[in-house]
Amino acid sequence: MNRFGRYLVLLGGLLAVAGCSGGGSVVSTPQISVSIVGPGSTRLLATGQFTATVANSANQAVTWQVNSVTGGNAASGTISASGLYTAPAALPSSGSVTVSAIAQASPSTIGQVTEAIWNPTPTVTNVTATQVGVSLNYQLVVTGTGFVPTSAIQVGGTSITTTFVSATELQGTTTVTGGATSVAVAVANPNPGASASSAFSARITYATVTATTAARLLDQATFGPTVADIQHVQQVGVTTFLAEQYAAPATTLAAIPTSPLPAVCLANNNPAPCAESEWWTAAITGSDQLRQRVAFALAQMFVVSTLSVPGQSIPQYHNALVNDAFSNFSTILKDVTISPAMGDYLNMLNSAKPPTGQIANENFARENMQLFTIGLYLMNQDGSLQTDGSGNPILAYTQAQVQAFARAYTGWTFSLPGGLPPTKFAGTNNYNDPMAPFDAQHDTTAKTLLNGTTLPAGQTTVQDLNGALANLFNHPNTGPFVCKQLIQHLVTSTPSPAYVARIAAVFANNGSGVRGDMQAVITAILTDTEARAGDTNASFDGGHLREPVLFITAMIRGLNFTNTDANGSYYGLSGQSAKLNEQPYRANSVFNFFPPEYVIPATTLNAPEFGIENTATAVLRLTMADAIVNNKISGFRVDLSNTSTLGVMAATPGTLVDYLGTLLMHSQMPASMRTGIVNAITPLTSNAQRARVATYLIITSSQYKIIH
Amino acid sequence: MRANRRSFIKYASLAAAGNLAGLRPFGTLNALASTTPDYKALVCIFLFGGNDANNMIVPFDTSGYNSYASLRGPLALAQNTLLPLTPLPNFALHPSLTDIQTLFNSGNAALVANVGTLVAPMTRAQYLAGQTVPSNLFSHPDQQLEWQNAAASGATPTGWAGRMADLLTPSYNPSATIPMITSVDGDTLFCNGASSTPVSVSPGNLGGATCSEGSECTARQTAAQALLTFNSGVSLVTADDHITSNAYSYAQILTAATQSVPPLATVFPAGGLGAQLQQIAQIIQVRAALGVQRQIFFAGIGNFDTHAGQLVAQSALLASISPAIAAFYQATQEMGIQDSVTSFTMSDFSRTFQPNSNTGSDHAWGSHHIVVGGAVKGGQMYGKFPTLALAGPDDSGSNGRWVPSTASSQYAATLAQWFGVPVAQLSTVLPNIGNFTVNNLGFV
Repeated sequence: MNRFGRYLVLLGGLLAVAGCSGGGSVVSTPQISVSIVGPGSTRLLATGQFTATVANSANQAVTWQVNSVTGGNAASGTISASGLYTAPAALPSSGSVTVSAIAQASPSTIGQVTEAIWNPTPTVTNVTATQVGVSLNYQLVVTGTGFVPTSAIQVGGTSITTTFVSATELQGTTTVTGGATSVAVAVANPNPGASASSAFSARITYATVTATTAARLLDQATFGPTVADIQHVQQVGVTTFLAEQYAAPATTLAAIPTSPLPAVCLANNNPAPCAESEWWTAAITGSDQLRQRVAFALAQMFVVSTLSVPGQSIPQYHNALVNDAFSNFSTILKDVTISPAMGDYLNMLNSAKPPTGQIANENFARENMQLFTIGLYLMNQDGSLQTDGSGNPILAYTQAQVQAFARAYTGWTFSLPGGLPPTKFAGTNNYNDPMAPFDAQHDTTAKTLLNGTTLPAGQTTVQDLNGALANLFNHPNTGPFVCKQLIQHLVTSTPSPAYVARIAAVFANNGSGVRGDMQAVITAILTDTEARAGDTNASFDGGHLREPVLFITAMIRGLNFTNTDANGSYYGLSGQSAKLNEQPYRANSVFNFFPPEYVIPATTLNAPEFGIENTATAVLRLTMADAIVNNKISGFRVDLSNTSTLGVMAATPGTLVDYLGTLLMHSQMPASMRTGIVNAITPLTSNAQRARVATYLIITSSQYKIIH
Repeated sequence: MRANRRSFIKYASLAAAGNLAGLRPFGTLNALASTTPDYKALVCIFLFGGNDANNMIVPFDTSGYNSYASLRGPLALAQNTLLPLTPLPNFALHPSLTDIQTLFNSGNAALVANVGTLVAPMTRAQYLAGQTVPSNLFSHPDQQLEWQNAAASGATPTGWAGRMADLLTPSYNPSATIPMITSVDGDTLFCNGASSTPVSVSPGNLGGATCSEGSECTARQTAAQALLTFNSGVSLVTADDHITSNAYSYAQILTAATQSVPPLATVFPAGGLGAQLQQIAQIIQVRAALGVQRQIFFAGIGNFDTHAGQLVAQSALLASISPAIAAFYQATQEMGIQDSVTSFTMSDFSRTFQPNSNTGSDHAWGSHHIVVGGAVKGGQMYGKFPTLALAGPDDSGSNGRWVPSTASSQYAATLAQWFGVPVAQLSTVLPNIGNFTVNNLGFV
């Protein structure tokens, strides 16, 4: 657009004549005319000076109008007697206004010019970035000037969805990489008159935490702290760490072909070692540590075992758990139920409508209640048992209800590859896709479930399953029953009833009216005051035994073992953990490696992992610790030589022990223990041996074995 | 310690060689046995998951078998595959139990019919009328625990073996170096007493921990054990300190005791229950060195929860336990103490007589059990075999979940009395035994 403005001179008489008739006229004297010069465009609320020249008249005075209104108005802008135009606050729909000057000497003589109205030039004076809940999203509040409804906040040069609050405030939400300390924020206004502010560096701040908090959190939420992870969590704090983990995509396990088996498990002629190798790899190297760790907990609550199901079933099952780990508990329950792994393990797979003289298989029906959802007895929300008038616990279900659920779960069989509907019942094995319904083998009689719920006769296989699972999901027991076990797996064997109740309340309602929100539950578990109490009080009474699998993963991660297996197999780790009665997806029974209610003999301590800690396994763990520090883990290597990081540190025993204390003991090693270890390694003349012995002494101590 | 592990392996191979020569006199070992004449041992073999006893002991007379076969449908074993019992012609054993058949026919094994958890004697009518039953019938963990603690609920801190150990340790094992109870299958409630806790042993790993630090091994172990003595204030740390300290101590004692003893000639089936019972035999072998006159052992094997494909699965399981039990009996003969060692089975429960639609069976209640030993009054079936009729006089419902006619407490009381628990103190060990008229079934 012409910067100096188009101008239009109108002759008053001509205008008048032209308005009256088409006839000609006679010019006798020069006509008065008005010409206007203006800026051509004015930004909203900005000013522009117009000047009018009245030709052929001594009287130069004019009356200024905007869109034919003298002096203008708010909608089209105002103009002063001296021609100083002030643009309106909002763009007129036409995108321009007409500025007129009327010659006072000849009121019929008008000069007019079209003035384009442009968006203002934005400026940014401040940006605040506030984390939104437990996420990597930050709400940006941008203050400045020149904002219009079409203004866009730009982060790193890219526009984001922007909410216009006022001419001086915009808001939007952006995702920030954990650890970033600033984001570059600008505001861009579009045409007409597109322009942008300069970038403003918005600070991203974190609630930094101590090395103790960081390491404790990592022991609760991952497969073991590393030096780098401790430093990272220290820098970004608990909330951002959790947010990063929630955002991390799932590491999934690859399907295991039946024939030929992959190299990793070919020698064993069994797919289970492949499944275990994949599992260890994901657990140890996955960036989705929390997801994998929660899936590990879920896998110990919803137990399937390759002692009786094929290894091929494990990838689909594990992938369901990792994909669902942060979803809704009802999703987990459904996906577990229709997985071919669980179907095979607890016999819902191919459970047919019973012919005369037979009954429906009760296995899944019973254990789904007893172990996966509601437990044996009615509970209070804090996990304690309700009692009847005689003080006895109240059974949560009857044998008749077990049999009703058993009938509700009939009619599921293998789907065809790709999850396609089966053409017959009990057809070809397919462990890669969820099971599929087969209505002809579904028991369609009515079923009376819990709390008065009835599945009417004649429902489909899917309708009955959904009804049965909804009945369990909505049972009041499910929250405390599930939450207590999650707490026990992640944080402490002995949560207070109040802790259980706080988490169960989140399970019941995540704050937005949603029941079963796993992300909310996990956040609540890990950020609870009882989970964090040990951050500042090393003798806070709680914690849980580092079960064999977590012991091994912590070593491989923390000491930086590298895989040396020709096929990249991690299966050698199973050889270690199996001796201590724990092997991934290979529990002895659906009751897991150890029962949640296990009480340490001669104590009143409920400590599930101690179910596999006894005088036999304690000795075997000592042997495993010796293997770890002496490079006897099949398929792995660790450098603890004189020239390794630890070996070099070992020149000064105290330095080595302090470093290991940070890495392995949450920077909370008791002084007496530190002294004992320093004294034990100081006489050793080999720095490598000092590194080995110091590590051994730490990892065989009960202080280390109990994650607390 | 590694030397001991090596020697154990060497002994195992010697044992195999010995067996090829067949049984022979073991004068040295019998002499060792004679140094502890009052020795007795109980060996519990727990069949985890709920063994289907309905196919373990099957009616063999024509009408009994036909009735069985018609109701069992696809789960019925063919009559011509069953193993007859010479002294008990109307019953036969599962085809996998050839060794048990031999032990029974030779009078060294007894069968006890329809045993289960009970608070007090009970009939079908009383059950249906709601008379008190043990809590959570048909639930695996509860029924396992109730078999092990002989109580009405699994939620108690001690088992009946543990209570026997509490009671008998002062009189029989006053100077023993290890606890009265040894588990070769991890922790179980059965073994826990109020004052006594068991030693756990991993079969084939009797020795202590491996050390690769050469001349520094002793110093490392001393330092590691010292770290177990710091009081941290965290309960679980203290608990694990206790377990680990005991582990060091027991490993040292068992290593020393077994180091110089020649291996038994008896060959055990590899792995599983065979390995467990072999380990038990090795410990019994060194009983004098351990200073024990009474020992209780716990062994266990799982996967009896045959909800589907039962015929194949149970066949394999029974085929694995039968020769292991026989080998163990043979080992006690080799040691000359077969009359001092009594082995017995326990299991969560039996299974529904009525099959389910997956060629399997579901959780039930009363079950049959096997007792083996030289002191056993074998070749007989004790208790009352149930009427195999759905909704019949022994059915708790309509699927063939038998109401036990003999309580697990009575079964335990019989074993306990043989072991040395005075009648007057039976109720200390078995709190509900007073509810039953008979406290000794007489099978041992």
